[in-house]
Amino acid sequence: MANSVNISIEAPIENQIQEITYDGQEIYQAPLSMSENLARLAQKIDFSKSDDEFCNIKKEGESNTDPKPDDDSKDANYQSSLWPWESVRNKLRNALTEVCVLADVLNIAKEKRYMVLDPVQPEQVDNRPMVQVYGRKKALGAAAAVLLAGVERLRASENMRINRNMPDFHIDLLRLRQNWRLKKVSNTIVGDLSYRTAGSKFSQTGVFEVTKAPEEQMMQAMSMNAAGPAPSALRVTVPPELQGVAFISVLCQKEQEEVVTATLSSSALSCPGTLPGDGADLHWQQKLEAAQNVLFCKELFARLAAEAVQLDASIPHMVVGNQIMATVLPGIQLLIGLCHNNGQNNANANPEGSRPEGAAGKSDHDHVLEHSLHQLLRAVHHSNTHHPFPHPATGPLGPSKRRCLAGPMAADRYELLDMSKEQSLLEQIIQQAQHFFMRRRSEYVLDTIAKEVKDPLIVSHWNALNSPTQSCVKINIMAYGYDAVCRTSLVVHVGEKTLKCICRDGKVRHLSYELQELRDLIYCQIYQHQMTAVQAVGRCMGWQLLASSSHLGSGPVEPLGNASSCLLASPTGDRMIAIRCEPSVGIQVFIAQSPRKDFFASELVQDKKWENLGGAFKEIKLDKMEGKNFLNKMELLMACLSSPT
Amino acid sequence: MGVTVLQQYPVPENKTGTYVIELLTKRILALGATQQGQFLVDCESYLSLPQMGTTKTVHILHNSEQPASVFSILESGTKNIHVIADGLFDLLMMKLSQHYTSKKQTKIESKGPRFELGDFCVKIGSVTMNQNFKGILIEVEYRPCVMANAVWGLLREFLQGLLGPTIPVQPPQHLLSRMNEIYTPIDTVYQYLEHFSAYRKVTGLRIS
Repeated sequence: MANSVNISIEAPIENQIQEITYDGQEIYQAPLSMSENLARLAQKIDFSKSDDEFCNIKKEGESNTDPKPDDDSKDANYQSSLWPWESVRNKLRNALTEVCVLADVLNIAKEKRYMVLDPVQPEQVDNRPMVQVYGRKKALGAAAAVLLAGVERLRASENMRINRNMPDFHIDLLRLRQNWRLKKVSNTIVGDLSYRTAGSKFSQTGVFEVTKAPEEQMMQAMSMNAAGPAPSALRVTVPPELQGVAFISVLCQKEQEEVVTATLSSSALSCPGTLPGDGADLHWQQKLEAAQNVLFCKELFARLAAEAVQLDASIPHMVVGNQIMATVLPGIQLLIGLCHNNGQNNANANPEGSRPEGAAGKSDHDHVLEHSLHQLLRAVHHSNTHHPFPHPATGPLGPSKRRCLAGPMAADRYELLDMSKEQSLLEQIIQQAQHFFMRRRSEYVLDTIAKEVKDPLIVSHWNALNSPTQSCVKINIMAYGYDAVCRTSLVVHVGEKTLKCICRDGKVRHLSYELQELRDLIYCQIYQHQMTAVQAVGRCMGWQLLASSSHLGSGPVEPLGNASSCLLASPTGDRMIAIRCEPSVGIQVFIAQSPRKDFFASELVQDKKWENLGGAFKEIKLDKMEGKNFLNKMELLMACLSSPT
Repeated sequence: MGVTVLQQYPVPENKTGTYVIELLTKRILALGATQQGQFLVDCESYLSLPQMGTTKTVHILHNSEQPASVFSILESGTKNIHVIADGLFDLLMMKLSQHYTSKKQTKIESKGPRFELGDFCVKIGSVTMNQNFKGILIEVEYRPCVMANAVWGLLREFLQGLLGPTIPVQPPQHLLSRMNEIYTPIDTVYQYLEHFSAYRKVTGLRIS
């Protein structure tokens, strides 16, 4: 033919799959060697069949000898397990016997001494050509009708598709192929939505099947929303365990007395029922994404659960059903649950308790921690596929850069042990939760102190940049209007379970998760600030500091910190101010004057010079004084006492 | 990693090596040390073939304290060159077998118990060459310090107390020029090599 089409036929490239391991790896059979292939093909030869076709003469002549070799060959087939060439040998031997017999027969016939062969008139086949022609015509007609009907159906469906503006299956398939991994297995199209190519090592497979949507449904869908986007001609079928919606719920809550109540209230974490729209008319992209998300959540939860069982914490983590419970801080629990709603589970979920409690649980759900969990698993996936450069050509792939260098740097066993330790996801998320609580609690403490204490002002600046497990706050203590005279600042590093406070004098204090400690520290800092500030104000006013002590040994024992005091003298030296500051009582101010302006000689004190020894201190009622704050009052007091009148 | 001093302990006549090791073990345990596993330092030497010019010797040493490393020291006349590599270096030496031949009969090792006593780490090793007992090496490491000069006095006192007054304790030859430098794991290996070479030279037990 002039316009013939070349068709090339070749064997599929893939070797036969011998085994699929648990991680999904396919082990192929090695291709057969030439000799193996020959042996295999030789075994396939059906010698008895060839007997029929080519040895007709012999068969007719010696029909009495025929059944025997057939039986033999059948026997040989059963014995073939002994030796691969067994059957071939047997058949060849049979053939040799038959050929020998044939040769003998021919010899006998040729000699014509014992036997003469007469040509036999062949039986006349009734050779009616017209019957044959009609028969063939009929057969051809039937075949043509089948083909035509097929063509007609194809054309009709294509016409209908164009007429009704129905989507094209192949275009959709092309789009699907651009975003998802597909392959053709015999007659079906199968895809893979697992994260295995991205570095996941989860054992569950994410195989889905692609089929063509039935026309009636497409028609129905098109008639339902004519204005909306055209429905897809594709139908993806995901396995039932990946259907529906899943998410990881992370919940931090106060520890409850009974474990049972904790599990009950949290087992009711509600899922959004299903995806918007029914499963059937959902677009395949959304459907696949949802299924992939289910797979991801399952992997995450499986990993966390395995870690929770393995880790030996002081308070053991509990894994109950699809929930993990871990203690973050004393009295606070972290609950991580896998919520998977795939239509079928609705029936056995307890309907009576789930609705009201579910709403409460949902509001407590910590989106930040959930996001961190996702991030952590993605980081694990990433590190599984991205090995640090440079890869040594001969070395194993996978160990960290530090481990690669450990040999040449002669790392000792402790360092190597250190390297082998890897923080699990659960530990990391617990640390993040701990930090979250520490940060919230310290925020609360600082805010309440700032509310309680109006004088001096307490200003806290939180650093905007922080890590998931560390943040930093700078606290400034100052008085309104006197911030240039004196300010006390301290920095608090909020860690996972501890706080680190760096004070103005450079002292570093480590505080535990009990926030009362932070509170006490800040109160001490406030009173310390007041004492230093009043001294600074005095210096500005020209007063002289006579004595100061930050840790007074006198007076009642303070519950926190020590009382402090200072003594200031006026520029002329005739007035004195004594300030005593006790964190539990507050600030007391005393003044004294010597010599007094008026002097009356008595029998005991006869000369005015004795008045210079100093007089009795009188307490000042600070709250009655004018002034915005303590420093302002002290400034006014000093000004008043300094004036000559 | 701290400063390590390797000291040879002469086995008295009419005593066996196991007896001496037991004696030392008892002494160190009496001081309050705890045993922390075993240790092993081995050394294999390779000779270059005569076709390569002057004969060079490569010593390959492993120290269980640095399990991921292979130490190699090339003796070329006056200068020693060392290379620290990871475990694959052993395979490399096998590939080089047409240039360097192993002297199997001189494979020598020191192994025995490992003790920890506060900041000290003491290892009592019996030296064997081809399963023949050759002597006893005692390794004492003081971990918090990395300068030999700063800690030598302490180490000498400790060793003297452990080994008894009859044993003279001298700073190792290798450390003499490096007393003021930072101590690294290869220095320990050099010390072992020094002692191993001395053991190879004598037949029977080494007296001093």
